[in-house]
Amino acid sequence: MDEITSVYIQESREQLAEMESCLLGLEQNPDDPDNINAIFRAAHTIKGGAGVIECHFIEAFTHRVENVLDALRNGALTVTPTLTTLLLGCCDHMVSLIEVLAAGEAGPAGELQAQGEVLSAQVQGFLDGMAGGEPAAASELTVADREPAVEVENAGGIVLNDSWHVSVRFGENVMRGGMDPLSFIYYLASLGEILNIATITDAIPVAAEMDPESCYLGFEIQLQTRSSKADIERVFDFVRDECELRILPPNSRLSEYLKHIQELPEDSMRLGEILVRCGALTQAELELGLSQQKLALGDDGTSAPPLGEILVDHKVVNPEVVEAAVVKQAQVSDKKAREARLVRVQADKLDQLIDLVGELVIAGASANLLAQKSRQTDLVEATSVLSRLVENIRDAALQLRMVQIGDTFNRFQRVVRDVSKELGKEIELHISGAETELDKTVVEKIGDPLMHLVRNSLDHGIEPTALRLERGKPACGRVSLNAYHDSGSIVIEVADDGGGLNKEKIAAKAVERGLIQPGEILSEHEVVNLIFEPGFSTVDKVSNLSGRGVGMDVVRRNIQALRGTVDVASVDGQGATFTIRLPLTLAIIDGFLVGVNKAAYVIPLDTVVECIELKNLQSDRNFMNLRGEALPFIRLRELFEIPGNVPSRESIVVVQFAGQRAGIVVDQLMGEFQTVIKPLGAMFRHLRGIGGSTILGSGDVALILDVAALVQSVTQSELQRFSERGQSAPAMLSNNPFSQH
Amino acid sequence: MKTVFLVDDSATILLSISGILAKAGYATEKAASGEEALRKLQGGMKIDLLITDLNMPGMNGIDLIKEVRKLPAYKFVPILFLTTESQQSRKMEAKAAGASGWIVKPATADELLNTIKLVVR
Repeated sequence: MDEITSVYIQESREQLAEMESCLLGLEQNPDDPDNINAIFRAAHTIKGGAGVIECHFIEAFTHRVENVLDALRNGALTVTPTLTTLLLGCCDHMVSLIEVLAAGEAGPAGELQAQGEVLSAQVQGFLDGMAGGEPAAASELTVADREPAVEVENAGGIVLNDSWHVSVRFGENVMRGGMDPLSFIYYLASLGEILNIATITDAIPVAAEMDPESCYLGFEIQLQTRSSKADIERVFDFVRDECELRILPPNSRLSEYLKHIQELPEDSMRLGEILVRCGALTQAELELGLSQQKLALGDDGTSAPPLGEILVDHKVVNPEVVEAAVVKQAQVSDKKAREARLVRVQADKLDQLIDLVGELVIAGASANLLAQKSRQTDLVEATSVLSRLVENIRDAALQLRMVQIGDTFNRFQRVVRDVSKELGKEIELHISGAETELDKTVVEKIGDPLMHLVRNSLDHGIEPTALRLERGKPACGRVSLNAYHDSGSIVIEVADDGGGLNKEKIAAKAVERGLIQPGEILSEHEVVNLIFEPGFSTVDKVSNLSGRGVGMDVVRRNIQALRGTVDVASVDGQGATFTIRLPLTLAIIDGFLVGVNKAAYVIPLDTVVECIELKNLQSDRNFMNLRGEALPFIRLRELFEIPGNVPSRESIVVVQFAGQRAGIVVDQLMGEFQTVIKPLGAMFRHLRGIGGSTILGSGDVALILDVAALVQSVTQSELQRFSERGQSAPAMLSNNPFSQH
Repeated sequence: MKTVFLVDDSATILLSISGILAKAGYATEKAASGEEALRKLQGGMKIDLLITDLNMPGMNGIDLIKEVRKLPAYKFVPILFLTTESQQSRKMEAKAAGASGWIVKPATADELLNTIKLVVR
């Protein structure tokens, strides 16, 4: 795919997202001209681009949509729910068409093609039903976008031996419009050969009255060319409105009128009539002549009116249009101004920058360490300034990758609209904190879990309208999305004002599934959070994100993969609130550094509960008694097959993940440590239990433990051993979940 | 070498036109919005031709043309605008603002270059 096409595809995707959100806004504010203009502009840009890359199926379809939007813009059509739904459908279809282009296919196939035809027919239906619509708005592509060349056969035809006569008097403003009169002459010369040229300087006033910025010149040109009259006329297209231009074909009969023109340069009206009768005049000239005639009659035929008046008379510059443009300009919000200051950068480049900054942090730490060893005060001071700057750079670099969550939230407007229609409920989406920023990599991955939670709220949270009214609630349900920063993490809330979670039902189901023991006493909070437990739902598939009340554990797993947590709070009859807490960035981690033999490992600090000394082991089982609770643990030495002798004193780091605790047995505890995460190379992808690596100030590599996987496997292997009781327990190593496979 | 300054909010258009111009031996400068274009010109960029889209968010092409004409250095620089609307009113509005001429989208490379040849000697 060439560069232009890929730029076009990306641009169109953005335009379509914008168009969709504006279309959704259309229902609330059907009369907002800004909004309608924005929709039109999106379609217009997509069509224009499609023309450039010569993708005709997109161009043709978008053109039809544009016609409807144009009618909407002109007020020839009004916004109705049916029309909005149709336009949203068209928007979706355009998204599909862009994907067809992105897939490198020649055009939409089968079903998509049929869908396009249905939509086109519906669009046409709207346009046909439009009363008194401007015919130009509904015109076909070729007519609307390409002005037909006006070519009038004249009596004499083009005689090759003879030459054309071009007579031109430039308007005063030609130079102010950025045109050099000479450039016309040069251009004419490129059409053929200029046999003769006379400069008419009669109009130049006396020096005192002359404005050096005005043009007072005229030319009489003898031109020999095979070009048509329309071609010659087109040369003067840009100044036609201000110039007196006459082109006389090679015809002796017309040459008689030439004298007449030169004698009477102002009387173009009569000349026009004469030339039309001669058949030498084009339609454009005729129209100009007629309008001047009308004007002259209105003014008692005394003086030639200025250009401006002609324009107003032509109704081409309409005062209301100008006024509307001014108002619109004032309404252009700050947002637009901010957009203008944006720079587009490839995400890869940012990732690379952040990677380099990570290296810089590490190198800085190492320099710091050496400086301190050297005990040179000056050096220590210099390196500490340096490391502070490096930290600032790191923060600034991470900030670059921060994006506002608003775009992600706005996607749900459509979901809420569609799903609520589907369910026959009336639901509005309320968004707040859209400007809250978080790392792009997190934003990309949070969409699916959010979708699940929102759909869940729509489907199960909000009650049917009848029930709502019965409960004394407003008929229109409300789902809200909120985001805010809270001490180094971002919190996203999905709340509904529905009936809340049914605690009895959840408890009963949890008992049925064996998640809790009958009679076990749990707090309300603990009960409602049981819905995230694996095995709570009957269906457990990652692909099932449709929010049919299944797979909440999948949501939690996805969020945990981002080092985040999810929690639900519910009030009976008032609704439920899901709270997602995520780290601001995945690039940096607060870690706890531990050592086994000579190797260092980092445990994410937010999973660490406490550190205790490992002693009084009563059995060879990997279990210990922690204040009356059984704590399974895992020995890193065994897990990673680290050589060396077990020291006399070992420590155990108690970690907690997803409500489960486990211990990690290590030799040394080395304290807290903030570090930049480096992903593992492709060779090590299949390793479980290790989430990444980092480089210590000393230059040593430390592996970052994947606590989620560790905890899961340690509890699973213990469960397995528990169920195999009586049989000889298999050795840890032979049952090692981390061995390479 | 003549420098053509392109202003369009569509990256597709910018890329395609600058590609055509580069092949024809023009240097190009680009801006994605009216505001950006004006800032660059206020900085004194030397150009031989300005080509701008009319329909842009924020400062539209017509406002840009008006502002550019206020800058003494660009009072007589040719300005072309891109339009697909063959409606006369837009053309007249742009002309009244100080535009030299227009290019009707979609234009072939030849149409584009011919138009440029007409206004840039």
